[in-house]
Amino acid sequence: MATREKLVEVKNLKKYFNMGKGQMLKAVDDVSFDIYKGETLGLVGESGCGKSTTGRTIIRLYGATDGSVTFNGEDVHGKKNKAKLKEFNRKMQMIFQDPYASLNPRMTVKDIIAEGIDIHGLAKTKEERLQRVHELLETVGLNKEHANRYPHEFSGGQRQRIGIARALAVDPDFIIADEPISALDVSIQAQVVNLLQKLQRERGLTYLFIAHDLSMVKHISDRVGVMYLGNLVELTESDTLYNEPLHPYTQALLSAIPVPDPELERSRERIILEGDVPSPVSPPSGCRFRTRCPHAMDVCAKVAPKWQEAREGHYVACHLYDEELKEN
Amino acid sequence: MEHILEVKNLHVSFDTFAGEVQAVRGVDIKLNKGETLAIVGESGSGKSVTSKSIMRLIPNPPGRITEGQILFQGKDLAKYSERQMQQVRGSEISMIFQDPMTSLNPTMTVGKQIMEGLRIHQKMSKSQATARAIELLKLVGIPNAEARLKQYPHQFSGGMRQRVVIAIALACNPKILIADEPTTALDVTIQAQILELMKDLQDKTGTAIILITHDLGVVANAAQRVAVMYGGQIVETGTVDEIFYKPKHPYTWGLLASMPKLGASDTDLIAIPGSPPDLSDPPKGCPFAARCPHAMKVCVDHMPDHTEVSGSHKAACWLLDERAPKVEKPVEASVGGAR
Amino acid sequence: MSKRENYVNDELFQPAQIDSHKSEKIAGPGLSFWQDAWIRLRKNKSAIVGCIILLVLTILAVFGPYMNEYSFSEQKLTRANLPAKVPVIEKLGIMDGTDDMGNDMYEMKGLEEGTYFWFGTDGLGRDLWTRVWQGTRISLYIALLAAAIDMVIGVAYGGISAYYGGRVDNVLQRIVEILVGIPNLVVVILMILVLDPGIISITVALTITGWIGMSRIVRGQILKLKGQEFVLASRTLGSSDNKIITKHLIPNVMGVIIINTMFTIPAAIFFEAFLSFIGLGLQPPIASLGTLIEEGYRNMQIFPHMMIYPSIIISLIMIAFNVVADGLRDALDPKMRE
Ligand SMILES: Nc1ncnc2c1ncn2[C@@H]1O[C@H](COP(=O)(O)OP(=O)(O)OP(=O)(O)O)[C@@H](O)[C@H]1O
Ligand SMILES: Nc1ncnc2c1ncn2[C@@H]1O[C@H](COP(=O)(O)OP(=O)(O)O)[C@@H](O)[C@H]1O
Ligand code: SF4
Ligand code: SF4
Ligand SMILES: [Mg+2]
Ligand SMILES: [Mg+2]
Repeated sequence: MATREKLVEVKNLKKYFNMGKGQMLKAVDDVSFDIYKGETLGLVGESGCGKSTTGRTIIRLYGATDGSVTFNGEDVHGKKNKAKLKEFNRKMQMIFQDPYASLNPRMTVKDIIAEGIDIHGLAKTKEERLQRVHELLETVGLNKEHANRYPHEFSGGQRQRIGIARALAVDPDFIIADEPISALDVSIQAQVVNLLQKLQRERGLTYLFIAHDLSMVKHISDRVGVMYLGNLVELTESDTLYNEPLHPYTQALLSAIPVPDPELERSRERIILEGDVPSPVSPPSGCRFRTRCPHAMDVCAKVAPKWQEAREGHYVACHLYDEELKEN
Repeated sequence: MEHILEVKNLHVSFDTFAGEVQAVRGVDIKLNKGETLAIVGESGSGKSVTSKSIMRLIPNPPGRITEGQILFQGKDLAKYSERQMQQVRGSEISMIFQDPMTSLNPTMTVGKQIMEGLRIHQKMSKSQATARAIELLKLVGIPNAEARLKQYPHQFSGGMRQRVVIAIALACNPKILIADEPTTALDVTIQAQILELMKDLQDKTGTAIILITHDLGVVANAAQRVAVMYGGQIVETGTVDEIFYKPKHPYTWGLLASMPKLGASDTDLIAIPGSPPDLSDPPKGCPFAARCPHAMKVCVDHMPDHTEVSGSHKAACWLLDERAPKVEKPVEASVGGAR
Repeated sequence: MSKRENYVNDELFQPAQIDSHKSEKIAGPGLSFWQDAWIRLRKNKSAIVGCIILLVLTILAVFGPYMNEYSFSEQKLTRANLPAKVPVIEKLGIMDGTDDMGNDMYEMKGLEEGTYFWFGTDGLGRDLWTRVWQGTRISLYIALLAAAIDMVIGVAYGGISAYYGGRVDNVLQRIVEILVGIPNLVVVILMILVLDPGIISITVALTITGWIGMSRIVRGQILKLKGQEFVLASRTLGSSDNKIITKHLIPNVMGVIIINTMFTIPAAIFFEAFLSFIGLGLQPPIASLGTLIEEGYRNMQIFPHMMIYPSIIISLIMIAFNVVADGLRDALDPKMRE
């Protein structure tokens, strides 16, 4: 991995939502990370911690409050002319969480998949368009006969594959997958994950894979970032994250996941976190995790921990590692 | 062993626009005193319908129990009148649902909702019920119980609401608690809290629990016995160890193989191809035949019987017939050895 | 076991060739939303009866006035206040031109044999059949026009308000709130005072606040839809606002729009009748169902026929529209699907 080329660079990204009455909901608050070409970066965290907002801000569905996103060296949020914007839309695509809400119920599968083809004029004739749709259906493991059907006739897993075909239609380089398997059954999840991995191998795709299920994220990702209440708290290689989690939240998250192995479950020591995630409208001062952190210290309430590279390629935001860093 | 609940050959159908949906097709369940039985299976396999049938909460129309018995302490609940069932619900058998947001009444204080059952079923006085409600809230780990009683559900977080729901369910010391995906809507860290709480409470009260889930991790964590459902039928039952370490049914193999292993190095997941059967036109033979890699000619037209593997372990698969070719469980389906 | 062995022979324990893709096959024809809705509607008997009634009434409203030789404004006091008389049916003892006492009014007025006024005549001797259908036509015309204008304004207003959101939404909603605050009747009366009563002024009066209901419904729907993932997906593909509105939003609110319109039409008919009844409606000689009922009401004791026929027709229209709208709602409401 010597020559890793950055595809996406997220720097100090912030996205606040105005809740009225002068209240700001800090959905994403100062998040920085890079995504390298050809890799899969996983993003995990509990619901409401800002994963989707991060993904949606990267792809310009939301305007950023502050910070920057660079794609292939170009500023995503900067002003662009129409042609540039279109090109950008082709290169970056998104797969959504809810298989029931992500397909327009009034359109046939053919028209859904061909939407990108139409917008970007990727097919000259009707036959070519149909040909492309058939190819895409086949790529995602459906067949031609499905082209004239309506979404409500498909199961969740099949719909999710239609969503993938729609994203693939414009031949993107980078795909943001926002919890693409959360709504699916275990046996169907594997179908979709395998499909995503196969596509990555064949097309050299780069993924930002968002999920709350750490085991699946670990399986599919090269590196994993952990979010808590709008902050990124840890980011590293997925094996390292699993074997040597540094941040107390990551440790708790890992230990909270029940594994399908009764013997292990019986013997496992669990870190059970107290309480719930605080509201992102009024997050705790200093470290946002301090209200639930078993290692919280005085400094944690006063100073927000810095996002720093504690070990090589292993980023963490926690005061526990301040000392270690100073020594190095 | 004493069965506190025995469901025999339960069939439940729904009359819908598209015809009759046979949601549950011959389910047998035995629940022992004080144990946790997990029912796993994918969406639409009939888990919720089975549990709602036990509580007789299937809306009629469109739903109806077409066949079978539900023996609770020897009496057949399937024959009970609505009146009689009201005596049972909430006091002998209680149920908690997936969504803590919708299972509480938003216009009533939490205290009132906990006390409701106590006043009706146990004929408690107001002060007795209040005392018990406070005790219950403390039991489910809600601090500052006295003040919390007077609050409304929207003032509680998701995890706390599920705790309240559990408190309500346990108020009258039921013999059976049916929990339909009690943690699915919650985050993992909260799920860990709730699972821990449920185990803790079971130790204290000895309530038998039917835990419905699609998460095999939750099963391994919380259950002693497991029933695997597919296409409206139970395809395999056994103790957790039997199901996880010595599964006999190809569907169980498939489920285990399609889970990523947190500890192990990456191998490709083995997906089960295809999708579950359409229960408005259920297959004649084995429900899994269309997706089973070991399917034989017999599977297509003939329903396999439940074959006993050990005293506590049964599976409904033709592979267990002595005439079938010997097929071993694939390695991908093995769990353990992770560390 | 032994029973099983009878029908399950060893040969059956051979691997079966099963194509797992088969389980991905979808049975049955692929129906679009509209085809599906049509099938549902067809199964709804009362809605079909409602449709037929509406069809018949519409045909009569168009052709009814030409079915006899009388014009709607031709007055002749010599034949005033005649009850209904219809050939053939008169033999049954009803609609035979007699009053309550059994006197043949036609004979008493000295009309020649073979004169028939199917719904009788009014106080000025105008043929009621012609006038009733003429009135139905005008009532329907006003209602349809009002509903169409409501629909256009309401959909555009609600759609823009919801789709652009933010400040636009804020301003537009404040305006709506102000409009809603003014009592409907006051607005209408002012309008009619300014514009002189007539078809156009009544239509304008009806629409001036009528579109608000539609705009609110559409706004609610669009607000819900625009955050849905399929709309987001379209935006990430680079769709223009136009495309999103026409391809994704409108088709998904169409059902609600249709249902709502079907409920506004009878409401508009009724409101027009009400205005006419309190004297704010059309001026003679033009008639609408409302003015006919009002005229009939004045002589209800002596000449009940003048009020009965237009009342029956307006009731039929109201019931039929409501039944059809109900049927459409059942057929189109996505919650009822699956
Ligand atoms: N009220 C109803 N009307 C018609 N069909 C129903 C109704 N309730 C359930 N069904 C059908 O019964 C079958 C079993 O449903 P059930 O809710 O038991 O599934 P489940 O195993 O609990 O799934 P999940 O994991 O999604 O909760 C499904 O095919 C479902 O569509
Ligand atoms: N459009 C929006 N308007 C207001 N608040 C929002 C919006 N989208 C997300 N949020 C809030 O931002 C926070 C992060 O949300 P999200 O990114 O969806 O979380 P995740 O995907 O991690 O579950 C949540 O508190 C959520 O309620
Ligand atoms: S900074 Fe302090 S409170 Fe935050 S995670 Fe580290 S030790 Fe815990
Ligand atoms: S009965 Fe046949 S099809 Fe069913 S699981 Fe067993 S081998 Fe597979
Ligand atoms: Mg999300
Ligand atoms: Mg269920």
